[in-house]
Amino acid sequence: MAEILKLENINYSYIDGGFERQILKDLSYTFEDHKFYTILGPSGSGKTTLLSIISGLDTPKSGKIYYAGEDIEKMGLGKYRRNKISIVFQQYNLINYLTALENVLVAMSETDNKLPKNHKEVAYALLEKFGIVKTKADRMVNQLSGGEQQRVAIARSLASNVDLIFADEPTGNLDTATEKEIVGVFKELAHEYGKTVIVVTHSDSVSELSDQRLLLSDGILKDIS
Amino acid sequence: MNFLQRAIKNVTRKLSKSILLLLTFFVIGNFVIVGLGISQASENAKIMTRQKMRAVVSYEIDYDAINEYINSLTDQDAIDEFYNNGYPNIKLSDVKPLLEDERVLTANALTTTQLYATEGSDFVHLGNQVEEDLSSQEMCYVDPDGNQVCEPYNQPTYFLKANYFPNMIEFQEGSYNIVDGRFYTQDEINDNVMVVLVSQALADLNGWRVGDVIDFYSSDPSSIEPGGYMGDMGITTEDITMSLEIIGIYTHNQAITPSSENFDWTYPYENPDNMLLMPGTSYAAHSLAQAEKSWDYYASQFPDDPYYTDPANRPTAETLGYIGNVTILLNDPLDVDSFVADYSDDIPEFMMINANNEEFERLSKPLDTISLFANFIVWLVVINAVVIITLVTALTLKTREYEIGVLLSIGASKLKIIGQFFVELAIVAVIGFTLSIFSGSLVAGKVGEVVLDYQITESGVAEENDYMIGYPSTSIWDTDYTTDITLDDLVGEYSVSISPLIIAEIYVVGLGIVLVSTLIPSLMIMRFNPKKILMNQN
Repeated sequence: MAEILKLENINYSYIDGGFERQILKDLSYTFEDHKFYTILGPSGSGKTTLLSIISGLDTPKSGKIYYAGEDIEKMGLGKYRRNKISIVFQQYNLINYLTALENVLVAMSETDNKLPKNHKEVAYALLEKFGIVKTKADRMVNQLSGGEQQRVAIARSLASNVDLIFADEPTGNLDTATEKEIVGVFKELAHEYGKTVIVVTHSDSVSELSDQRLLLSDGILKDIS
Repeated sequence: MNFLQRAIKNVTRKLSKSILLLLTFFVIGNFVIVGLGISQASENAKIMTRQKMRAVVSYEIDYDAINEYINSLTDQDAIDEFYNNGYPNIKLSDVKPLLEDERVLTANALTTTQLYATEGSDFVHLGNQVEEDLSSQEMCYVDPDGNQVCEPYNQPTYFLKANYFPNMIEFQEGSYNIVDGRFYTQDEINDNVMVVLVSQALADLNGWRVGDVIDFYSSDPSSIEPGGYMGDMGITTEDITMSLEIIGIYTHNQAITPSSENFDWTYPYENPDNMLLMPGTSYAAHSLAQAEKSWDYYASQFPDDPYYTDPANRPTAETLGYIGNVTILLNDPLDVDSFVADYSDDIPEFMMINANNEEFERLSKPLDTISLFANFIVWLVVINAVVIITLVTALTLKTREYEIGVLLSIGASKLKIIGQFFVELAIVAVIGFTLSIFSGSLVAGKVGEVVLDYQITESGVAEENDYMIGYPSTSIWDTDYTTDITLDDLVGEYSVSISPLIIAEIYVVGLGIVLVSTLIPSLMIMRFNPKKILMNQN
């Protein structure tokens, strides 16, 4: 296993009611590739903040993040998000005037990564892999169920051919059966597709299925596997 | 699924929003087309009418300025001095720099006078009433004692146009054409060479050819006989005889026929067939002997008159060449206004360059007003359009924050997102404006006619009589080189149509509106933070 993401002395705080609230305190951790991580923590512990920072949506007050040894700030956060990672959100975050297929194609058109030329066929295949058949793939996303939309979001995260996938409470809106199904997909991504999956969740049932369980507490990550 | 494709999908799938925007652009487009169409029709009518007018400007004495100056003088001596010494005259040296302008084709700086036939020369007869009445060769009048006195009198038979430049507007424009020989040159003008051009009719009548030398009298020969008023001055036949070598024979298109206006009252010298053309300097040089003798005579008669005691007032060839005005022919009628503007400040005091377009300007007023009004409407609509579309886009942006957040989270650049918004608006704008071209074309013509009729009635231009600019062109003494125009000329050229230029302008205006309307929302997008958007959403 090789190091894919290294967090080095990450600090993050914000002002709340006139007081500075420290969320992350000198947090350091190294994620390895081909693994399925879950990050647990009570509400307000800073899980989502941590995910925002490591996914390049936000910047820490201090500290460095290295992707495969390269400082992501120097790489450029836009480029990092475009070419190195993808994110799956609790609300799926699909574009509502596009079909499932088109949502996947959006990610493929934005990345600079080398992809097969036949984008459409690849996207259909990817969707089918996650249970979205062609007839559903051509539907507008708001005509799909929550589970289906989350699968579309996962397919989209794979479409840009990145090695690192983040997910923020990806099963928060799903029933238990679908939750299991989605978690199974994440495991599959890590073990069969060679991706590194980092999922932020408060669900023990999700966490139990991961390769490595991390707890965010008092601003630092602790391995509780 | 790049940003262009996303823009197309958004336009086609968010139909209600797209249709509302389309209607907005359609209405804007109609207003803009009508405005631009009417404005262009007004401008075109002016330009086309102007192009039909002769491209002439005149360099002349500004009598209004002189009167104003004299009225400002309170000292009678100063007024007298101005009249005696300082009264402005046109100097050719002041005009020549203007003629070097590349817009100038030629100019007429004419001295005009009548000439008299010598023995053996004849003039082209019209056979009209005047010739019949003047056949007596005597001029009779009643003296203070009540007696009728008849004196020998010679009728002037030729008219001389002496130009100071080696061409004439008439030849340049083709109303005169040389059929044999040539026009006089600058060297001949400089050297006061006694050369002349005669009409073909006159040459044919007298059997004159190029190279012949013909004598003409510059004054009535009977006046130099004893008892005649010039005879007492010592002026001789030699002084009034001009021996002119014919260097050119020309034709003209100004023939007077029995059907011509005032045919019966046209004097022989007024017949264009009897017109002679010679260098102005040569005529002035010839006149010098008569002028000097006349001056000497009056100096002896009025020895105490300060005017005659001042040798500076003695006539010279230069002071004799009186020029009432200089008419300058330009290449292009559309250059007239710019030419006048370019030189009006550089000419001597009390001189003016006249575009002779007062009537054109007067008649153009309704069109100017329409054009101004139409342009105002266009600007008003465009400004309103920008405000409305900006607001709509900004409001739409609020509802699309989530989409922007998603795009930013997958690494789409903000510029691409702005580009998508621009393209979405541009697609709708292009469709809206394209549709408005068809409807606008239909509306613009009707609206244009109504607006013009209303404006002509309001301005009262139609109720004022159209009048000719300058002097009537029938006057041989002072030919009118300007063009008379009527309101019908201008209105006849007014036609509202949607030209390719207007269509191009519509699209430019439309894209301009889209560009400006995207600007403020773009600034909002640039400030968007994907984390905040997505966290709020979650």
